[in-house]
Amino acid sequence: MKRLLLASTAATLFATGAQAQTTIELQRFFGACDADYGDVTDVSSAVGECGIITALINDFEAQNEDIDVEVTTVEWPGYDQLNAQLASRNAPDVVSMHYSVISDYTSRNLLEPLDDLLAEQGIETSSFTDAALAGVTKDGQIYALPFDNWTMLWHLNMNLMEEAGLVDDSGAPILPSNTDEFFEHAATFEEATGKPYLVQILANETAAYARLFYTFMLQQGADPFSDPTQIDLMTPEAKAVVEFLKKISDEGATTTDMDYAAAVAGFGSGEGGIGVNGTWLIGDYTAQSEEEGNALSDGYTVYPIPQLFATQDATYADGHGWAVPRNPGRDDDVTAAIGKLMAYLAENDFQWARTGHLPAVASVFEMDEFQSLPHRDNIAEVAQTGQSLNPQVLRQFSIQDIIGEEFNSAVHGDKTVDEALEAAQNRINDLLANL
Amino acid sequence: MAALHRQKRLSNALFALPYLVVFAALLAFPLGWGVYLSMQKADLFGLYGFIGTNNYVRVLNDPLFWQAVRVTLLFVATTVPVLVGLGLFLALALNRRTRGSAILRGAFFSSTVLSVTIVTLIWRFVFIPGDGLLSIGFEAMGWEPIGFLSTRGWSLFSVGIATVWWCLGLPMILILAALQQIPADLYEAAALDNASRWRMFSRITIPQISGTLILVAVIQIVMQFQLFGQAQLMTNGGPNGSSRPLVLYIYRTAFENWDVGRGAAASELLFLIILAAAMLQFWVTRRANR
Repeated sequence: MKRLLLASTAATLFATGAQAQTTIELQRFFGACDADYGDVTDVSSAVGECGIITALINDFEAQNEDIDVEVTTVEWPGYDQLNAQLASRNAPDVVSMHYSVISDYTSRNLLEPLDDLLAEQGIETSSFTDAALAGVTKDGQIYALPFDNWTMLWHLNMNLMEEAGLVDDSGAPILPSNTDEFFEHAATFEEATGKPYLVQILANETAAYARLFYTFMLQQGADPFSDPTQIDLMTPEAKAVVEFLKKISDEGATTTDMDYAAAVAGFGSGEGGIGVNGTWLIGDYTAQSEEEGNALSDGYTVYPIPQLFATQDATYADGHGWAVPRNPGRDDDVTAAIGKLMAYLAENDFQWARTGHLPAVASVFEMDEFQSLPHRDNIAEVAQTGQSLNPQVLRQFSIQDIIGEEFNSAVHGDKTVDEALEAAQNRINDLLANL
Repeated sequence: MAALHRQKRLSNALFALPYLVVFAALLAFPLGWGVYLSMQKADLFGLYGFIGTNNYVRVLNDPLFWQAVRVTLLFVATTVPVLVGLGLFLALALNRRTRGSAILRGAFFSSTVLSVTIVTLIWRFVFIPGDGLLSIGFEAMGWEPIGFLSTRGWSLFSVGIATVWWCLGLPMILILAALQQIPADLYEAAALDNASRWRMFSRITIPQISGTLILVAVIQIVMQFQLFGQAQLMTNGGPNGSSRPLVLYIYRTAFENWDVGRGAAASELLFLIILAAAMLQFWVTRRANR
């Protein structure tokens, strides 16, 4: 009986100890890779977005044994799920969020301002890059820990570019400087390799169309959202961009019918010369190029989307941050644990930058380790040329879907360019007029 | 006596109470709440005022809504007859007491127990360009591969194929159960009269299972009007909305665009469409049987 009592007491104490552990519920996209990285705490050995963020969280838990981070992985971008959780007052403590959607949530008072939390952890807002800080600041308050800036890039298969003679004497790729040159290069490439110049995401995805559209609008110095409450697409600049996108498809300068996964794999297996995709793939493609016996072996590099329109060199950029949904009932110890996690993520922004994203913490740019990462010189200019949409524009993901869907129909010939532009404008303005 | 009778009737009603509570909580109240929401300016986080029929006007003036209606009607009109016809064919073929039939019944029904995620994953392996089964087959034959999931027309066809494969088990089992209820002496009497197989099928089998066929058709009409997961996961409604059914339209409107009032209005219209289609099917079949 005595033994039983002692055992019961010990079990109770153990259980009480377990309950004392603070749990943070973290919800993120970036994919699931527990089979490869579920136990990895050596962050430097991880590769790719999923691998690095998984290892970072594992390492944070190892360093803070009193904090348990329960990770829920959602399919990109996961905002539908988050909306349902917020509506049912069951939101996670920390959630990954694009800078471009933060305004949607702050407009409904759904996020905690983080100024005090970051200050308590000794994180100075001046430590972030201007672009990152602007992305997370709304009405003078910070609503997410900025983690990176990203943009679309040209990932180059140098083995195929060399075969096409599109490499100069220094070994650098020869890239077009206007749309006419683009089609000349595409024809040269196709003739030499029998493959399309671009590997694009043209099926069942809308984001790529919208990002390219914004990039080429910015390159013409045109802002379709000069008034953040309505879009103006009936302009010569907008028409020029959609006609250019359509001509790429009409002239066979791109792969067709590839969705996101097929396009990522397609570029990796050498189905075309230039993969039009984001910063987040640099780490993965670099790792692939360092292995023998594949299409990218010793033949991969990456550049910003070249300036193909005359006015200015510019590219559309967005970023990822970590937001904290509002929860008046959150315990102080959970809030303190969230602060620790934020501090850890900011301290390890270099590790995240190994994915290919541009760091949100300015000092990372000065680190030797960062500067020695492959291809970062090529894309450093994005820090200056990257521009986001007017942050007052709400529902940017919905707008992205509409633009992608309508422009896809123009590119595939289901609508004329003018019809697609008019339909997109009407749909977006109806959306914004009824918020 | 009359008072006792009334008391008895009231106590009898108590037996229906558990069902009525569930019915009221899970069906009647949400339906009423949906109608209320459809007349509000609302998102997931609050209501911002009564706006009358404005949401209905916006939905009815939206070309995307009518496109979704056309897509859904086309989908229902093509998949339901195929499901009923194939279900009948399989049920007739497997209506035997042999081990092979039992195994095949299990095999054909097995797809029904899979989740929509698995079903669409399997069919994506078949339809995706490049490494997809059909793409490899087309290339082996020297034909130009078709973008099944990204070409207008083919995308809805691909969703339909996956849906038929997924949903075929239930019609087959229901019709099989009905076939096994037909008294054997009807067929024996017909055989004595030297009736042909076709005559036995058309004059005995079909009339005997007509009630089940109506039930299967109505269930499938209601189910296929609610097409969502396959379209979202295989084609995302594309290209250009050509495989976007009504439920995906509602989902996009309410959850992605945060326009819950308008989504609720579209939901009420879908409810009326399903009700009308099911009643029409019921009425036409009953009339034909008379």
